[in-house]
Amino acid sequence: MPANWGYVIAAYGIAAVALFGYWRHLARRARALTARPRAAVPQRTTPRTTS
Amino acid sequence: MITRVLGWLAALGLLAGLAAGFGYAPPEAVQGNVQRIMYLHVPSILTAYLAFGLVLIGSIAYLATRRPRWDRLASASAELGVLFTAVTIVSGSIWGKPTWGTWWTWDARLTSTAILLLVYVGYLMLRGLVDDREARGRYAAVVGILATVNIPIVHFSVKWWRALHQPSTILGPEPSPIDPAIGLALFVNWLAFTLLFAYFLSRRIEIARLEES
Repeated sequence: MPANWGYVIAAYGIAAVALFGYWRHLARRARALTARPRAAVPQRTTPRTTS
Repeated sequence: MITRVLGWLAALGLLAGLAAGFGYAPPEAVQGNVQRIMYLHVPSILTAYLAFGLVLIGSIAYLATRRPRWDRLASASAELGVLFTAVTIVSGSIWGKPTWGTWWTWDARLTSTAILLLVYVGYLMLRGLVDDREARGRYAAVVGILATVNIPIVHFSVKWWRALHQPSTILGPEPSPIDPAIGLALFVNWLAFTLLFAYFLSRRIEIARLEES
C-alpha cells in the first residue's frame, strides 16, 4: 500500500484552512460589532399625560 | 471568560488529537497512512450531528417560548453544522480517491450527506431572506425541525441501501472492531472537535447577540 501522504496532508490542510478561516471571520465580526457606536436610544423629553 | 477557556481547551485538544492520530495510532493494516484522514472525517460528521441536534432543540424551544436566545442557538448551530459537514464531505472525497479510486460517487451515504448540507445551507439562506426577526425565527424553526429528518437517513443509509461507504463502526449496534490505539486516537479527536464546536458556538452566539442589540 503506498503511503499516500499527499492525500492526508491535503485533507488536513483544507480542514485547517476552513476552520482557521471561520475563526478569523468570527474574530473580525466580533471586533467590528464591539467597535461600532451603539444606536442611540430614543428618550422621551416630556412626560406622557393621560389627559 | 468561558469562551476563552473553551478556546484554549479546543486548541490543546486539537494538538493532542494530531499527536494521537499521527504519533500514537499505528498505520491501518490495509489502507496504510491514508486511513489517518478518519481522525478528521469521523469527528467532523459527529460534530455536525451534534450541531443539527442543537438546531432541533433550539427550534422547538423557540416555537414553544418565542425567546430569541433559542433562535440564536439554532442559527449558530446550523452555521457550524454546515461548516463541519463541508469538512466531512471534502475530507471524505480526498480519502475516497486512493481507497475507492474516485473523488465522488452517488453512493447513498455520500448523496444523503450532500443533501443534508444543502438543506441546512437553505436554512441559512431562508434566514437571510426574512427581515422581520419574529417571522424569521418562526420560519427557520419549522425548517430546522423538518431538516432533522435527514440525520437518521444519513446515518442509516449504509444499512438501508447497498452502498460503497462502509457501515458504521463506532455508532453501530455491534461492539466496535477498531484497534484500541486507533479507537483512542479517534476519541481524542472527537473530544477536540466537540470542544472546538463549543468554542465556536459560544462566540457565534455572542456575535448574534451583539448584532441584535
